[in-house]
Amino acid sequence: MSAPVLTEPAPPSAPSASKRSSWYGYLRQPTVALSVLVLLVMVLMAVFAPLIADEPSGAGPDVLQSPSGAHWFGTDDLGQDVFAQVVWGTRTSLVIGLAASLIALALGTTIGLAAAYFRPIDAVATVITDVMLALPTLPLMIMLAAVVSPSVVTLTLIIGFFAWPEVARLIRSQGLVISAMPYIDGARVLGATGWRIVTREILPAVVSLMIVSVLLTASRAVISEAGLSFLGLGDPDAWSWGRILLNAQRSGTIAIAWWQTLFPSLAILLLVLAATLAGMRFNDSRDPRRNGG
Amino acid sequence: MLRFVLSRALKAVLTVWIAITSTFFLLRLLPGDPTTLMVEGDMTPEMQAALLKTYGLDRPLWEQYVSYLRELIQGNLGISFRQIQPVTDIILDRLPWTLLLAGSAFVLTIAVGIPIGVTAAVNRGKWLDRALQGFGISANALFVPSVAILLLVFFGAQLGWFPIGGAIDPDTRGLGAYLSLAHHLVLPVLSLVLVQLGPYALTLRTNMIEVLGEDYIRAAQARGLSARRRVWKHGLRNAILPALTLMGLQLGTLVGGAVLTETVFAYPGVGRLIYEAVGQQDYPVIQGAFIMLAVTVVFANALTDMLYAVLNPRIRL
Repeated sequence: MSAPVLTEPAPPSAPSASKRSSWYGYLRQPTVALSVLVLLVMVLMAVFAPLIADEPSGAGPDVLQSPSGAHWFGTDDLGQDVFAQVVWGTRTSLVIGLAASLIALALGTTIGLAAAYFRPIDAVATVITDVMLALPTLPLMIMLAAVVSPSVVTLTLIIGFFAWPEVARLIRSQGLVISAMPYIDGARVLGATGWRIVTREILPAVVSLMIVSVLLTASRAVISEAGLSFLGLGDPDAWSWGRILLNAQRSGTIAIAWWQTLFPSLAILLLVLAATLAGMRFNDSRDPRRNGG
Repeated sequence: MLRFVLSRALKAVLTVWIAITSTFFLLRLLPGDPTTLMVEGDMTPEMQAALLKTYGLDRPLWEQYVSYLRELIQGNLGISFRQIQPVTDIILDRLPWTLLLAGSAFVLTIAVGIPIGVTAAVNRGKWLDRALQGFGISANALFVPSVAILLLVFFGAQLGWFPIGGAIDPDTRGLGAYLSLAHHLVLPVLSLVLVQLGPYALTLRTNMIEVLGEDYIRAAQARGLSARRRVWKHGLRNAILPALTLMGLQLGTLVGGAVLTETVFAYPGVGRLIYEAVGQQDYPVIQGAFIMLAVTVVFANALTDMLYAVLNPRIRL
């Protein structure tokens, strides 16, 4: 699930001579192009969901039909179209994934940078980060989601709030390297305040790491949302890929209706894989050791 | 050695205390607090007040916290709302199953991950190495229930090789009971191992490649040690340490995965208990389950750290 795919951030690269060509080179890699394409299709599906399929609700006459021309992904035990459920579920997954990762990014970057530059904050921040990383995250999120009434907003807040420690750790380790660089000393000698140094000198140097973090955190957030929905803690008013799996689990149709579990599973796999690959390749593309300087 | 063990245990206790304290206050600050959850709509105000008093929820927050902590130290996690039974008893009933499941997955991941990681490192760039890299990256995208359902449908329902739910056949005795236990364990464990294996083997591979470039490996080669001995004895010993730390850090994820896979396979562990408690809004059970799982994970992590110290010749204790 949340495997640490990034054990070591790439060393800070010097300001690149031509930003456009590096983006072009990044996007020209086949895996990246494919990942970005998948992400684009998902976004379009989420935005135009009402045009693609009607929101599934109520019961239909075609119960537990296997995939056909009329129902591309088959139907569930209530006769609802699984394709429509997957399309509408894309909305929830993308919104929660993106919003939660932005919350995690804001918290993680603030805490990570503060810890990297201000010594006294570092001690406290490191203890809190370590404690949060040591705890089983899913049971923790389950406990909180069970108390508040689950909705897209509360799920986003809960997932975002527990995803920041990984971001903070990445940003802090990068920030520590940069804080020790001569130009930071130079800024200090010139009389820059701590606030100015952190926001104007260190922050720009970790921006590309932040882009990587958004993609990786979003993919973890999508998995978390699916897990919570699968356990019955999703938003009851919004379709979600985890909820489709839960419905199959509850109605006992797992062993019969393979289409009801396969398609939402593929959707999760594709989205998370695309986001992870795009993030990892982006991290690699910034690594001067691989680009020959 | 004793000093290291004590300080590591102290750190674990501190971690658990911080977790318990922060979640206690967080839960009571959240909009839907346990009082509103527990009190059914059709109760008279007098009945509500009496119920709150029984559970001590009418006292000031600080007093509640102190008594909660005092009870917790004595192993009292409160009373289940739905089954009138102490939460501690309910969870202790289920915990061994989760430990068996997660423990087997932990051991199997290491046992299978080591040969794969080492072989990939030695045959760098060959097909196994490439396959491992692809697998390691995509493992990040594997959703435990999806993997579990796939295994259940294919090996359980279609081929009928393994049972599709439960933990043991109640009619078996003696050796048969153990076999039935193992038989029921295969698919849930496999779904966890498939998710954990990739990153673990990949880390081991990276470490191994680094270690194989070290001077002492070249020195061993100069002394005429066989490639087999260099890799598996001298190299592995050093490559395994960071991989062990990774497994320690992944324990939380492993337990989270166990919660999900137990739900799919109706495996009677804490995870399935959480799923049932969520459905019944049995709030003390959910909170108790989190605390027990947190304690388990934090102390298991402390144990792997101690194991690391024992295995690492550079740390003298």
